[in-house]
Amino acid sequence: MSVIAGDDVHAIAEEVFAAMVDGEPGTVVPWDGPAPTWAQPLVAWVDLHGAWSGRACLATELPTAHALARALLTLPADEEVGEADLVDAFGEMANVVGGNIKSLLPVAGTLGLPQVAPEAPAAPGSRVVTEVALAWHGRPLVLTVLTVPGAP
Amino acid sequence: MIRVLVADDSRVMRQIVIRTLRQAGYDWDVREAADGAQALEAVRADEPDVVLSDWNMPEMTGIDLLRALRAEGFETPFGFVTSEGSPEMRAMADEAGALFLIAKPFTPESFREVIEPVLA
Repeated sequence: MSVIAGDDVHAIAEEVFAAMVDGEPGTVVPWDGPAPTWAQPLVAWVDLHGAWSGRACLATELPTAHALARALLTLPADEEVGEADLVDAFGEMANVVGGNIKSLLPVAGTLGLPQVAPEAPAAPGSRVVTEVALAWHGRPLVLTVLTVPGAP
Repeated sequence: MIRVLVADDSRVMRQIVIRTLRQAGYDWDVREAADGAQALEAVRADEPDVVLSDWNMPEMTGIDLLRALRAEGFETPFGFVTSEGSPEMRAMADEAGALFLIAKPFTPESFREVIEPVLA
């Protein structure tokens, strides 16, 4: 289904980061450079169930996820973020992005609870609908939307 | 002082909601609940002026919380703060007795728009 375009995903990310993270627009721009690769990856995802089943994933480097969590919690740059807050904050970013992606779909469905891990579990038969590489204050983030046929 | 109960399974999101409420103005007395079941107990123990609830939570969802409150006779003003704002969900929320649904991400302005009529 081609109802979810890269521009839509970018627009959702811009709105989410402006409202929740930075308090101002323009902090998320298209990534300029080779496709990001990760040394210490962290992925947050939510599954979408219903007539359209799939997954919305947000991937980045662990230090960037820590920086995001600090920004969400309005903590100073040198303050440590605990594991529970890191998972909560990064998962909630994927949850909000996933909820907004769901609103683009022409069919009703449900959204699963957010999950966070170094990598998302394999989803047999999945297909990438759109993948967008973004830079948040120069740090790479990748947003991927997959269809997952017959996802539970 | 407006007594608000904020229900969300994400502690981070509860903090963001509370911060945004304060940015929106008014003087808030805030209590928190980590899911619908906790929120139901909190209302039974001490009914707040308004409940702001996530939709998708473990144990008891926000819509089940709202239906349980109405079934028990609580008419507490209730609004959803949720990552999903589809027309179907808005219709379901309205039918169950919610006064508003704020879709995440939100701003202090979006809170003011829906809270002011409730407080009027």
